[in-house]
Amino acid sequence: MKKTWRTSALFAYSLAILAFLYLPLLILTLYSFNTSRINAVWTGFTFNWYISLLHNTRVIEALTNSIIIAAISTFISTVLGTMAALALNRYTYKYKAVINGLLYLPILIPEIVMGLSLLVLFSQTSIPLGKTTLILAHITFCLSFVIITVNARLEGMHKDLEQAASDLYATPWQTFRYITFPLALPGIIAGALIAFTLSIDDFVISFFVAGPNSTTLPLYVYAMVKRGISPEINALSTALMFATISLIIIAQVLQPQHTSTKKGKE
Amino acid sequence: MTKKRIILALLGIFTVAMLVLGCGGGTSKQTPSSVAKNEKQVLNLFSWADNFSPEVLAEFEKKYNCKINYDVFANNEELLAKIQAGGAQYDLIQPSDYMVSTMVKLNLLEKLDKSKIPNMKNIVKTLQNPSYDPTGDYSVVYTWGMTGIVYNKKYVEDMPTSWADLWNPAYKGRVILLNDNREVFGMALKKNGFSNNSTDKEQLDKAFSDLKTLAPSVLAYDTDTIKQKFIAEEAWIGTMWSGDASFTYKDNKDIGFVIPKEGTLIWADTFAIPKGAKNKELAEKFINFMYEPKISAQNYEYIGYNDPNEKAKEFHSQEFLKDPMLKVAVDDVNQGEWLKDIGDGITLYDRYWTELKTIK
Repeated sequence: MKKTWRTSALFAYSLAILAFLYLPLLILTLYSFNTSRINAVWTGFTFNWYISLLHNTRVIEALTNSIIIAAISTFISTVLGTMAALALNRYTYKYKAVINGLLYLPILIPEIVMGLSLLVLFSQTSIPLGKTTLILAHITFCLSFVIITVNARLEGMHKDLEQAASDLYATPWQTFRYITFPLALPGIIAGALIAFTLSIDDFVISFFVAGPNSTTLPLYVYAMVKRGISPEINALSTALMFATISLIIIAQVLQPQHTSTKKGKE
Repeated sequence: MTKKRIILALLGIFTVAMLVLGCGGGTSKQTPSSVAKNEKQVLNLFSWADNFSPEVLAEFEKKYNCKINYDVFANNEELLAKIQAGGAQYDLIQPSDYMVSTMVKLNLLEKLDKSKIPNMKNIVKTLQNPSYDPTGDYSVVYTWGMTGIVYNKKYVEDMPTSWADLWNPAYKGRVILLNDNREVFGMALKKNGFSNNSTDKEQLDKAFSDLKTLAPSVLAYDTDTIKQKFIAEEAWIGTMWSGDASFTYKDNKDIGFVIPKEGTLIWADTFAIPKGAKNKELAEKFINFMYEPKISAQNYEYIGYNDPNEKAKEFHSQEFLKDPMLKVAVDDVNQGEWLKDIGDGITLYDRYWTELKTIK
C-alpha cells in the first residue's frame, strides 16, 4: 500500500517536471498553427505560417547557410575528433590527464567567453568575418563533444578483436579499416549527429563571429523578434526544434551502451 | 586502399581550401565572397530583419547584375559592436538616429557622395537635416516614426490630446508604456514641457514623481507584445510607435492614435556606409535606387512604414495614403524631437527606471 502511494507520488512528480520542461515548447508549437497573428487568441487551425515560411527567401537563405555551415563543421570536427579520440585512447604519454582535461574544457567554458575570444582572435589575425569564421568557430566547440562521444565508444570496446586481427597478419591499416572503424562507427555517427545539432542550434558564438552572407537560422529568428513575435517565428522555431529532437534521438539510439561490444543497440 | 586515398585527398583539399579562405583576407584583397561568386558584384547589407520588399531587392539585383547579401541585426548596440570589431565587411548599414551620431563621433562612417545619390532630394525637407546628422553628410532617412498615444475608442471616449490623459484614473490597470527607459522618461518630461533629452535633475525628479503616480495604473511596460495587448483589448491606452499603431489598426479598427500637443519623440532608421566599405559605389547606387519614386512606393507599401519620399505619392495606393496612423506621423512631423546621446546623464535615468519598475 505504502509502496504504491510512493510510486504514484513519484510518478506525479515526474509528470510535473516534464510539464515544466515541455509546456513552453508545446505552447509555442500550438500557436504556430493558429490562424490569428496574435498569440493571445486561438482562432483556428492552419498550416499557412509554414507555407509562408517556405516562400520567404530570407528564411530559405538562412536555412541554407545553417545547413552548409553545420555540414562542413560536422565533417571536419568528426574527422579531427575521431583521430584525437583514437590517439587519446590508444597511447599513454606524459600529462595525459592534463591534456584530456584541456580537451574537455571547451564544454565547460561559457559560450559567451568563447564567442568573444574567437571574435578577438579573428579580428587580431584580420580574418574577415563570414562563413569561414563561423565554420572555424563551430568546429572548435563541436570538437570536444565528438572526442567525448567517440572516446566513450572506444573505451567500451575490447582489444581482443584487434589483437586477433594483428595475429592474422592484418596490417595496422587493415586492422583499423576492417575492425576498429566498424566497431567505433556508432560512436562516430553519434558524435557527428551531436556536432550537427550543436552547430545548427548555436546562437551565442555565431552571434559574435558572423559576418556578411552568413546569417544562420537562430540569428535570423532573433532578429525577427524585433518586429514582434509572429506565428511565423513560432513555426520556424517549431521546425528547428523538431529537426533537433529527431537528430538527438538518432544520436541517443546510436550512443554506445555500457558493456556491449556489438554494434549499437539493434 | 582506394577509399583511404579518396578520404585523404578530400581531407587535403579541405585543409587547403580552409587555409586559402582563412588567410585570403589577411594577405590579399580577395574576400571569400568574391572568390565564391567570381564576376558578380556583391553588396553586403546589414540591416533589421524584414526591412525591405523582397521584390524590390530582386529588381535591384537584376538591374545592376549584382548579389545582395542581406544580414540582420536586432538592435543598434549589436550593429555598433560588429562594426567596431572590424573584420565584418559590410557596404551598407542601417543605424537609427542616435547611433548615427555615435558612429560619426567614433569615425566609423564614410561621407556619402551626394552627387551619386541625386534622389536624396526627393526626401521630405524636414527629414533632410536632422539634428543627429545636421549636414546630412553621413546618413539618409529610410524609415521614421513617432511615439504617440494609442487608445481604443470603445473604452476611451474622449480623444486624448495630452500626455496627461494617461493619468486619468478611469484607465487604471489598462495603461501600457513602452519598455524603454528613454521613451518613458522622455514622455513624462514632455508632459511637463521639458526636452526629452533633459539631464537636469530637477526636471527629471518631476518626471519621476509623475511616473510614480502613474505606476499603479500601468498594466505593463512592454514593447514586444504591445500590439497583441491592444488588439485583444487587454489594454485601453498607452504609448506606441506610429508604425506599430498602423499594424494594430489593421487588426482592430477601434484603435486610434494621436500625437499629443506637448510634442513627442521622433526616431528614424537610416542608410549609412561604414568606413572601409568594399563597395561604396554600389551601396550609393542602392540608396539612390531606393528613393526612385516608383520603387519607394512599392517598398514602403510592403514594409508598412511612412514613405519619406515626396515624389512617391502618386504611386501609392489610396489605402496607404489614407492610413490614419501613418498620416498622423506625416502631419505632425514637426512635433518630434530626436533623442540625443546624453552621455553620463543616462545613469540618473537608469537609476530612476530601475526604481520605477519595482513599484507595483
